[in-house]
Amino acid sequence: MNTIRYLWLTLIQTLFRMFPFPTRTGLIPIGNPGRDAPVLLTGNFRLTVERVKRALRGLDAYLLVANSRGVNVWCASTGGMLTNHQVVAVLKTSGITERVDHRRVILPQLAATGIDGGEIKERTGWRVIWGPVEATAIPAFLQAGMQAGRPMRTIRFPWPRRLEMAVAWAFPISLLALIALLFWKSAVLPMIGLVWLFSLIIFLSFPLYEHLLQSGTQHEGFVFFDFGQAKVPLSFWALFLCALIGISLLSGTFTWTLAFRWGLISLLLLLLLSMDLAGSTPVYKSGLHADRLLRITLDADRCRGAAFCERVCPVDVFVVDHHHKLAALPRRDQCVQCGACIVQCPFDALYFRSPDGNMIPPDTIRRFKLNLMGSRTVQTGTTTPDSLSPE
Amino acid sequence: MSTYVLMRILESAPRRYRLGIRLLTLGRLETVYDRLTAHLQADDRVLDLGCGPGPLTFRAARRGAAVKGIDVNPEMLAIARQGVEEAGLEERITLAELSVAELDAEPGERYDAIMSGLLFSELSRDELTYTFRQIHRLLKPGGLLLAADEVMPRNPVKRVLHFLIRLPLVVVTYVITQQTTHAVRNLTEQVTAAGLELISQRSNFLGSFLELVARKPAGGAG
Repeated sequence: MNTIRYLWLTLIQTLFRMFPFPTRTGLIPIGNPGRDAPVLLTGNFRLTVERVKRALRGLDAYLLVANSRGVNVWCASTGGMLTNHQVVAVLKTSGITERVDHRRVILPQLAATGIDGGEIKERTGWRVIWGPVEATAIPAFLQAGMQAGRPMRTIRFPWPRRLEMAVAWAFPISLLALIALLFWKSAVLPMIGLVWLFSLIIFLSFPLYEHLLQSGTQHEGFVFFDFGQAKVPLSFWALFLCALIGISLLSGTFTWTLAFRWGLISLLLLLLLSMDLAGSTPVYKSGLHADRLLRITLDADRCRGAAFCERVCPVDVFVVDHHHKLAALPRRDQCVQCGACIVQCPFDALYFRSPDGNMIPPDTIRRFKLNLMGSRTVQTGTTTPDSLSPE
Repeated sequence: MSTYVLMRILESAPRRYRLGIRLLTLGRLETVYDRLTAHLQADDRVLDLGCGPGPLTFRAARRGAAVKGIDVNPEMLAIARQGVEEAGLEERITLAELSVAELDAEPGERYDAIMSGLLFSELSRDELTYTFRQIHRLLKPGGLLLAADEVMPRNPVKRVLHFLIRLPLVVVTYVITQQTTHAVRNLTEQVTAAGLELISQRSNFLGSFLELVARKPAGGAG
């Protein structure tokens, strides 16, 4: 019964994956938690909460749901919706302090773009432990003594996730196709069919063309259809045109009008679906975000090898030499400019460098979060110790 | 006054907030705030919860109170700070970026009055309970809670009416900001459950907006 409910919920939430779905915040006991039970925290996106609960089945733990305004953890943390304030609020008001004796809270690793572990400790006394990227890895993470190995820390885009994104894009766009009901009724069903077909093909065949999305050599300007990335939809379009013309010729139904109309419609649909192809994957930076041009840079003089960067990087950019106490960035090209390493570094040893060579200091990354279009305009905190003390 | 839900849109653009609120509420909110702050005395020590750009804070300071305003939105606070400078009220107003969850750092029985304008409807159930506990702790015996907020009408017919009026506004706001407010249920019960005595309350015709004054009983644990 629970499984049916879960599947139903997953379906609905995946169809509307692009929209926030807030659920109740606060404390959820899982199993039969005691006074030393682990405390985990997540955002209040409904699907996330259900998935975490499911991942925790059979364990005894406390789950804290913080107010991320119904948005998933990564987007909410990077976009300034899940901030230190929300984490502090749920730690203090949910009553968790009376339920457990320890003061360790496990946060999803992807929240590291917005939550400052040091500040949480200072304000609440709770120590932040960065958990794995995926909720499904939580049991293994706990079993390993709250240690996340590299596979647990790295984000991937396996086929179930790709399917999820295909559905998440196809559904709202097929609703858009309904507009054609007003002037060209017979085209609606074929159009919806095409939307789903394209979306599934685009996302399921992702590993085949993934290398074309490499963001290393991005150029500034032309944000919407970054031409480096338009290769992908255009190749799909060429394939579709060949198939369309081939099949209609063979079946004797070919006309120039048909080829022209459906050629145009398919191009529009493909461009719409792949509008933010890179951004729909967790492994490439959105083509819409100005931040994609920033370059993560290490100030080696400040680095003391504390390895916060290595622990929170979801794309495995860093290697820390614990002997010499120094970080290195051997896989810098994989960076998705999420900023988690910059936010967490206690020595301010990491920063972004813009294409024109300017330095964007860590404080800016901590305080200003990305808005929907990827500009850093959402201010999430100016708190300095001085402004905290009353009078 | 169902229009409070539209405040979400204004909050996403703090610079337009003050003007927008005035237009949305046709100045009624100003009257409410004037009435509430009329309960303050000169030299009262006052706390403003969720002060925003400071409509209650400034009114209280002009009456001679020493006000501390707290809010989690740094952009709102920046506007408030600018206002403090312009009005030359630095001596009377302190602003801090704090959430209500961090009130436990304040020493108890410190304030003569605690004000809250449209904050309760933004808090979760847990946060609201916590906030009332803190309000009771922070008020001096005999101290006042001055609050105005969006509430759920008690009358079922009015509740339906309220829902219908509010629905289109909620949809518009949700589409633009993906946010909404939730009207508080049983606000007066929560106030009394926290050990405060209700002194006066005033509600609009629909019963969807409540203005209340409550007191922490003088003497005794309360």
